[in-house]
Amino acid sequence: MAIEPDGDHVPQERVPSGISGLDVVLRGGLLRDGLFIVQGEPGAGKTILGNQVCFNHVAAGGRALYLTLLAESHARMLMHIGPLGFFDATVIPSRLAYLSAFGALEKDGLPGLRDLIRREVQARGATLLVLDGFAAVLESSDSARTFKKFVNELQTQATLTGCTILLLTTVSSEPTPPEHTMVDGIIELTSRLYGRHAERDLQVRKLRGGSYLRGIHSFDISDRGITVYPRTEAWLTRPAATDGVGGAPVSTGLTQLDSMMGGGLPRHSTTLLVGPTGSGKTTLGLHFLAAVNQDEPALYFGLYENPAAILAKANALGLRLDGLRGSGAVELLWQSTTEGILDEVCQRLLDAVRRRGVRRLVIDGLSGFAALASEPDRLGRVFSALSNEFRTLDVATIYTAQADAVGATGGQRLNGWSPAAAPGIADSVVIMRFVELRSRLHRMISVLKVRDRASDPSMHEFSITGIGISIAPDPAGAEAILAETTQQPASGAKRSPRRSPA
Amino acid sequence: MPTVLIVDDEISILEVLEDVLLDAGFVVVTAMNGREGLERLNETMPDLVLLDLMMPVMDGPGMLRGMATNPAYRDIPVVMMSSLPRESVAAASDGFAAFLRKPFRIEVLVQTIRRVLDGTG
Repeated sequence: MAIEPDGDHVPQERVPSGISGLDVVLRGGLLRDGLFIVQGEPGAGKTILGNQVCFNHVAAGGRALYLTLLAESHARMLMHIGPLGFFDATVIPSRLAYLSAFGALEKDGLPGLRDLIRREVQARGATLLVLDGFAAVLESSDSARTFKKFVNELQTQATLTGCTILLLTTVSSEPTPPEHTMVDGIIELTSRLYGRHAERDLQVRKLRGGSYLRGIHSFDISDRGITVYPRTEAWLTRPAATDGVGGAPVSTGLTQLDSMMGGGLPRHSTTLLVGPTGSGKTTLGLHFLAAVNQDEPALYFGLYENPAAILAKANALGLRLDGLRGSGAVELLWQSTTEGILDEVCQRLLDAVRRRGVRRLVIDGLSGFAALASEPDRLGRVFSALSNEFRTLDVATIYTAQADAVGATGGQRLNGWSPAAAPGIADSVVIMRFVELRSRLHRMISVLKVRDRASDPSMHEFSITGIGISIAPDPAGAEAILAETTQQPASGAKRSPRRSPA
Repeated sequence: MPTVLIVDDEISILEVLEDVLLDAGFVVVTAMNGREGLERLNETMPDLVLLDLMMPVMDGPGMLRGMATNPAYRDIPVVMMSSLPRESVAAASDGFAAFLRKPFRIEVLVQTIRRVLDGTG
């Protein structure tokens, strides 16, 4: 924190990295005039990060200098970063210069390197300096004292010239390398294996004088460069707006279900729709979408069926989703569950909601998120954070969740999820199930709870026909079926053989 | 044997290019930035300069401007080399006889130097 003459603390000015997500983690960016270490094993992405920050800095009007010390040659480096989206050859060398500092280090040691940095930063008016291959500085130091003196001089230089400095280096074998105590911030890039699947992680291990999102965040490297995906439950800790309450209920698209729920889904609420595969969860979600109007844009976020399959299903049910999609009232997004980053998917979902001011949202289904989660125990917190955010954005959300068992309500489990997570994410719970009677499966629907409202506790039979879901208004049919099942002998039960008279 | 002055701030490149041109029969002088390059010019009067674009202390365009101010150097051809495309280099500097985009092949380097020295470049 800088201190003003009157003694008030003012936040130190930040220099945005321009890397999507990283500035969220850093709560605004790097500290102006700050000295940062970016560390990671070879291949972790340090050089791409350093270059991307340089190009972004230049695009924002700054000037940058990239110095290398026994890193790869500039020709190879530029060849590798040239295809990446942030690269712009027109700013080199006028606003971004690549120089080798190794000659100066070899010839005149640390004093030579220090002089070169001072001279080139001043001559080029650089407001950002990246020193790639910083480990070579340590190797060239004859003592720890010399090395610490050099780092201290770099820090002084950063302050005097108004230049933010990034030192790219490998991870030290020492638990607390001396430079770590001296720099303003440390960003670490790592890679972790989950079975055969690898994920890249970023962690800010230190940031002096400022808050940041602590803990580990995912990132990826694509043809756009580095994108950081802040941990969803961390950056959504404080919802964007005040939680909405009240307002007219939102129709599910099914009059009978609306009636069972006391008028429909509470506005600004999340509803968990649980049932085994084939029970009609997606179909119910399509009814909800088809009830859209222009003031309530809708989004279907599917993790299993792609938009073409969803449209075909809707058409078969007489729900004209293609027309609603054409008018822009409904958007269909699909997300593969085979490979992906959980926080990236959450961000994609949230972006899609915010972009169109979505008011009706179907997430089909939660098990897909479980498949993407390398750390399944995070899911409850992630969806609790997402649910809070959706509520504040005035979204009525339906999550579908697959139950493992075809059985009694109490025995149903959420596939890949802990049932304990449900209260955190769902204001309302609707159960769909099958009941087996005389070689026929009967579909049943019931409302387990609705937020702040009385609901119909009865179980109703329903069917899926060419016009979609039809729920029996009278629970008597369901009651009769369930009563009959209790009178039947359990499937597979043995009968005692009748003993013949002696 | 023609003398080639190589000016580049990357030691690894400087050393490899020196070996390659020595093998190709040239006499080689090296410098690590434009200022050193101008000093070597004065000492050796090479037949050709192989010049990098971005260097500390004085960059390639700076050295070219320095050469232009001295009539003794005006006829020494310069082969500019850079990781950037030719258009970017041309925008930053002109007055070079040929351009090589890094990374390049040895045979391309040697052919380019010979062509420029023959006056056909």
